[in-house]
Parts: sequence; structure tokens; C-alpha cells
Amino acid sequence: MPSWIKRGALALALVAVAVAAEFAMPVIIPDTAWRVLVQQALVAVVIALSLNVINGMAGQFSIGHAGFVGIGAYTSAVVASHMHARLGSPTDYSFAHSFMIVPPAIIAAGLVAAVFGFLLGLPSLRLKGDYLAIVTLGFAEIFRLLIATSSPGAPEGTLSHTIGQLGGQQGYGGPEDRGIAQYAGGFWLVGGAITAIIIAWRLKFSGWGRALRALRENEVAAAAVGVDPTSYKVTSFVISAIGGGIAGALLAGMRDGTPTVQPDQFNFFFSFDAITMVILGGSGSVSGAVLGGIFVTVTNRIIEQLQRLDSVEAFRIAHPDVDLNALRMVVYAAVLVALMVMRPSGVFGEREIIKGRRGPAEKPA
Amino acid sequence: MRTAHPTRAAPKVAVGSPLLTISKLKVAYGGIKALKGIDLEVRRGEIVAMIGANGAGKTTTLKTIARLLPIAEGTITYDGTDVGPLDTEDLVEAGVSLVPEGRAIFGGLTVRENLELGAFNHKDKKLMAETIEDVIGLFPRIGERMKQEAGTLSGGEQQMLAIGRAVMARPTLLLLDEPSLGIAPKLVQQIFEAIAAIADSGTTILLVEQNTRLALKYAKRAYVLLTGEIAKTGESKALAEDPEIQALYLGG
Repeated sequence: MPSWIKRGALALALVAVAVAAEFAMPVIIPDTAWRVLVQQALVAVVIALSLNVINGMAGQFSIGHAGFVGIGAYTSAVVASHMHARLGSPTDYSFAHSFMIVPPAIIAAGLVAAVFGFLLGLPSLRLKGDYLAIVTLGFAEIFRLLIATSSPGAPEGTLSHTIGQLGGQQGYGGPEDRGIAQYAGGFWLVGGAITAIIIAWRLKFSGWGRALRALRENEVAAAAVGVDPTSYKVTSFVISAIGGGIAGALLAGMRDGTPTVQPDQFNFFFSFDAITMVILGGSGSVSGAVLGGIFVTVTNRIIEQLQRLDSVEAFRIAHPDVDLNALRMVVYAAVLVALMVMRPSGVFGEREIIKGRRGPAEKPA
Repeated sequence: MRTAHPTRAAPKVAVGSPLLTISKLKVAYGGIKALKGIDLEVRRGEIVAMIGANGAGKTTTLKTIARLLPIAEGTITYDGTDVGPLDTEDLVEAGVSLVPEGRAIFGGLTVRENLELGAFNHKDKKLMAETIEDVIGLFPRIGERMKQEAGTLSGGEQQMLAIGRAVMARPTLLLLDEPSLGIAPKLVQQIFEAIAAIADSGTTILLVEQNTRLALKYAKRAYVLLTGEIAKTGESKALAEDPEIQALYLGG
């Protein structure tokens, strides 16, 4: 069979899977809470894959990915909600309408995030390691605090008033606070995750991905073979930012999520979780980022759910002085420490579940 | 060794004429003057060596030629073109490849990936396969380890790989920084035989080497650097017999 037929068939099959996900998800998972968890995990996969471009493939260390996701979430929330209002604000977020709303929201989110990715990529040319990490953290926090400290009630004409249109600390809930449009159902979330996996895979095994890895291994040597460090570093930031922005768009528009975006969603812990996903799975590994994204999201939720067990409730009543919420973080941290001790370079290292066209290195015999 | 390049024309200068000319070159790190105005010439087809003690400015010179360090003053001309405004990748395109010091390979990538990255500037599949064959001809040990992670090679093998990777670009001028540094003597011999073979195929070579005896054995001419200045220059044979060089660099 010619390869284009195979590829076409595969593409059709994947589209079918995404369409099926749209309609099957509410049936298979009738419980909203669990459905939200699945949707969050799908978004987490996109987040982890996009951060993996900077932290895994390029070997830079960004601890500000929440900034890109947040920028994407806010951008898409504004775009989607206003377009939704143009449609006359139908109460059902129908699948057919989603094709008019989600693509522009995603594109806008990706573009705005790309601009910030470019700007943040520039310091990466001069800064390395910890210093770059601090800049990325600063970027994410500036974004969050700019929104959180603005207020729509501030005097008109001030910056605070302008940015305050995004809802300030209370969060953004669409025009007239009617809630942001939530069109990203199973189709867009599954489709987004699949697309992200395919792109990440192709990037990793492309000439571009290899040049990026070369740059990570040895900058002087990479320059000596003709890889331009400047353009590669900045491009890696831009690509990662676009991915983060699109993840943000999916997060904001998640069908069963909350119909607001809040600045505090995108705090340091959000970035921290994203880093955990990448490192846990294995920096530079596409499979690792996917599994890391799912694992971190699900583990967080399972530990949360455990708190609702009767025995835990009884314990809580018997020992009111023990802060179980703090304990949750201890358990989570312990899991991470154990994993890092057992597998210092993550579950997969830089390897993949299935071999790429240029398979992983063989260890010497 | 095949040296034809798919997109690059042969150098404009004739064999035996200056391919690389450095004139009054000054380079500084912050306030420290690493090169205090050196003049150097490499003619097409030659092996030229730069020798001298640690900190004399040998590596600085190579890195500056490869445009990895800014030029403070002076000019570097390659094949009639001023390289000052060029970037490293432009220079690779023009035919100048550097083998950086200290076995600068991509440790996490396979040997084959390392070699293929060497052909980054032309990416010509057929040429790549041919050159890989040539590299294996030069260094059979590399051929046995194509799928291995480069970081797991021995020091000597890593140096071979670094040279092989530079050859992949089919350079006109090869800049070699300390190819013998920290490598077992038996392998050093093989590496220098390979360098001689690369030169035989028509590639011009500028070599930085602390092992003066070795450098003077393989190079046609040599420059002796002393704290950022050229102290002596001449035919290798003459330098090897120079009593001052013998006392300072050849251990009496």
C-alpha cells in the first residue's frame, strides 16, 4: 500500500477517534467530576509536551510555563466568549458551533503566547541554568500579578482599569460575567492531545530536533557544525510557548470545567506541576511527557479523593490538629522522591515506548 | 577521501596561495588581552601548526577564526572574503570547519547522529553516506560503534568522532584544536595519520597542538605563540632544529 494511503487512513482513524470522544465521553463517563479529570489529563498532556521542548529537548530550564498557559487561557477565553456572544449566546455549546469558536480561539492563544515566547527566548541567549529559570519564573509571576492586582473598578484610563477588564483577582467570566464559552469537548481535547503528540514526535526526530539536542549537548560544537544557537534557542521558546498557549485555550474552554479563568490558577505550583510531568516521564521523551502529564493529574486527584474516605474522615475528626491537606503534599512529594531515587532520569529517560525512525541509542555491548 | 561539495565552489585562490590571512588580530576577554596583534597565513593545501604554552592564545585564535569570539581589532580574510561580519554557521557554509578542543562531541546522541549533524550545512543524503564511508575508512573504530551513544566512547574515539564530524561538512579549511589532548599515545598516532590523510585529499589544515614534536612532524610550517604574540615562525624542519625551540618546547 502506498504510504500516502496509509497516512491518510491513519489520519482519518485519528479524526474518527476524536469525533467518537466528543460523543462518547459523556456516555462512558457520566460522572462530571471524573470527566473533568480526564479532560484535565488531556490538557496536561499538551502542557507537558510543550514544556518538554524547552526543558527536555533544548535543555534550557523554564519554571514559568504557567505564564504561557495562562496567556493562552485568557486570550482564548476573551476571543471565544465574544464570538459566542456574536452567535447570540446559545445556551448549548453545540459541537457544530465549536468549529466556529475553537479554531480562532486556539489560533489567537497560540499567536499571543508565541509573541511572549519570543520575548522570553531573547534572554535565554545570554542566560543559562538557574539564571534563565529565574527570568522565566519572573515572567510568569508578572503576568499573574498584573492581572490579579488590576481591578475593573479602578478609575478609567488607568492601566489597572484596562487590565481589570480581565476580571482582576476574581477571574474572567466572559462579557457581563455570563461565563466563558466552553466549546472544547472531547473532540478538541483528544484531537489536541493527539496533534500535540504527533508534532512533538516529528519535532524530536526531525533535523530540527536533532540540532536542538546537539545544542543542548555542546553549544560550541553545535555552532561549529553550523547550527545557529540564537535562532534555535529562540525558536524552541516560541514553539513551547505556542503549545502552552494552546493548552491554555483548551483548559479555559474545557467543556466540563469551570466557566472562568483566574490568575491564581497559573501560580508557581502550576509551573511546578508541569516541570514534574516532564522530569518524571523523562526529559526529552515524548512518551514520558504524555505519561507524566496523565500521572501527575491523576495522582493529584486520587490523593484528593482519598481524603474523602470514611476512615480518613474518622481520622480527621479524631485528630483535628493534623492538617491533612499538608499531608497530601507530603505523600505526593514522597512519591516523587521515590521515583527520582529509583529512576534519576525519569521513567523513560530520553527513550520512547516505540522506536522512532532514528531509534534510541544502544548501550555498548 | 572525497572532498567535492554539492553547493560550494572550489576556493578562488590557487593551491599554494594564501587561503586564510590574519592581520594584526587583537582579541580580548573583558579587559584581558588574549591576542596582541598577530599575523598568520595559511596557504591552500598546507598543514600549518600553532604551538606554544598554555594561555599563549592558540585556542583563542582558532575560536576567533571560527567566529566564536569577537574580533577586537585586525582582520581575518578567508578566500578573499573578510570574515568579520560573518557568523559561525556562514563560515561553515563557506568551508571552514572547527574541531573544538576537549572532544566536543554530542554525548547523548549516537555516533551516527553526531556524524550526520556534521553534514548539517548541506544535508545531502548521498554525500552524507559517502562521507560516512570515508570517515569509517579513516577511523575503522568509529564504524564499529555507529549506534552507540557517543558519550560512551573512549577519549581517543571521541576525538576521532569529532574530527570525523568536521570532515562530514567537506571543509576546505579544517581547524583542529589540540587533537592529542588527553589521549592514549597509540591513538594519537592514528589520529595524526588520519589528519595527514585528510590533508592529502586536498583539505587545508590549521592545527593547534601542545605536543610540539608531533606538530612539527606533521605540519609544513608552524607559528610559535607566546603570550598573545607570534614569537617565531618558519618551516617546521627549521623550527625543530632551532635551539631555543628545542630548549623551550622539545625538552632540550
